[in-house]
Amino acid sequence: MTTTAMTSARRKAPRAGVDLLQIVRINEEIKRVVGVSFKINIMALNAIFLAKRAGTAALGFGVLSNELRVFSQDLRTCMESLTGLIHDCVGEVSIVLQDIRFTRLLGEAASIAPQSAAPAILAQRYAENETHAGKLAKLRNQLKRALEDAFQMVELGGVLAKSAKIEAAYGQSFAVPLAQVSGEFDGVVEEIRGSLESLRRSPFFTGH
Amino acid sequence: MKITETIFQDGTHKWVAIVRDPDKPNFLIDTNEYLVTHGGEGMLLDPGGAEIFPAVFSALSSEFDPSALSAIFASHQDPDICSSLALWLEFNPKMRCYVSALWSSFIPHFGGTAETFVSIPDEGMDISLAGLTLRTVPAHYLHSSGNFHLYDKVAKVLFSGDVGAAMLPPGQDGLFVEDFDKHIRLAEGFHRRYMGSSEAKRRWCERVSQMDIDMLCPQHGAIYRGADVQRFINWFDNLQVGIVKS
Repeated sequence: MTTTAMTSARRKAPRAGVDLLQIVRINEEIKRVVGVSFKINIMALNAIFLAKRAGTAALGFGVLSNELRVFSQDLRTCMESLTGLIHDCVGEVSIVLQDIRFTRLLGEAASIAPQSAAPAILAQRYAENETHAGKLAKLRNQLKRALEDAFQMVELGGVLAKSAKIEAAYGQSFAVPLAQVSGEFDGVVEEIRGSLESLRRSPFFTGH
Repeated sequence: MKITETIFQDGTHKWVAIVRDPDKPNFLIDTNEYLVTHGGEGMLLDPGGAEIFPAVFSALSSEFDPSALSAIFASHQDPDICSSLALWLEFNPKMRCYVSALWSSFIPHFGGTAETFVSIPDEGMDISLAGLTLRTVPAHYLHSSGNFHLYDKVAKVLFSGDVGAAMLPPGQDGLFVEDFDKHIRLAEGFHRRYMGSSEAKRRWCERVSQMDIDMLCPQHGAIYRGADVQRFINWFDNLQVGIVKS
């Protein structure tokens, strides 16, 4: 075991700990977004009923509320896939943390007993560490891409919500409740967008 | 690095004590590990905690090829007994770990696979090490509810886990007990507090009194040899245990 390798193992330990903490935070934020996207689904259903009651006065709004319901379902699916990826990331970071501890202990053994089997086992351990680190890097990229997809989806949701606000103005006697519903939509979509924006900026993805 | 000392040898049949690490941090309890070898195979008794693995490993590998370790014997489930298990398995993934049936699904939390563990039934069993028979001796409730010691009839050595353990201050940490009366004072508090059952203690004393023992080797402290073995058994038999004195 070289001194450089031991130093590197020591440096990686806090990094993996920080990664785990960041993933936990991302997970909490995603759980919040999942909760909000469920709320959108209920709101979309209410909007559809309201549009039906408004009849011809809210035809455009009706089309948009159907689109918003589809959006909310897509968003939920997207969040489920993000949650799955997060769980995989937590598992992989935990493995990396365990790798770091084992590498440190095997490294100390190899440095005290350089003639023993320890250096060879340590080399195997390094190879395994690389595999685990590679898996984590892959998951990190997948998660980053999934977040980008979710963000694009929410941008579309924002456009739908704003269009619904415009359509609400043509709702004649239903204009006020339609505006209220579309305003709530817009607010919730903005809330999700804000959350996703902060997730994209997480040091877990940016590295600093 | 820990010190190794061969306490018994007859050809390839050896007992090596791995003891006293001068670099060990004080917040970790000091432990003794024992290596039994026979016919090119080795068994490590209570291999110790993960944090002391480098010290135990390096000492052991000065005496024996760690990849030739075929088995680990864990007297019970405590972390200072075998939390290093996963690290030892890196050297020989086919290594077996013998442990009380009570703990064979608990210890895997330290590492290993379904194939790693061999459950010892309550009444004990024989383990073969390249043809050498080692007998697991029931020592339940001393202190763990599923607890075994290991007896080598040929070497006349009994590995006694926590029984006989003593907390040795610096300067009084010789490998063997030299002054029984002085030494036993260092063992008394530990035995009173950790040993939970007078009945189990009495049965153990009866059982081991019938054995031919030259050395009684605890997991902490010094080794009892010669007349000190029976002296210890008598002392333990008379000790009041299982009560917390306020």
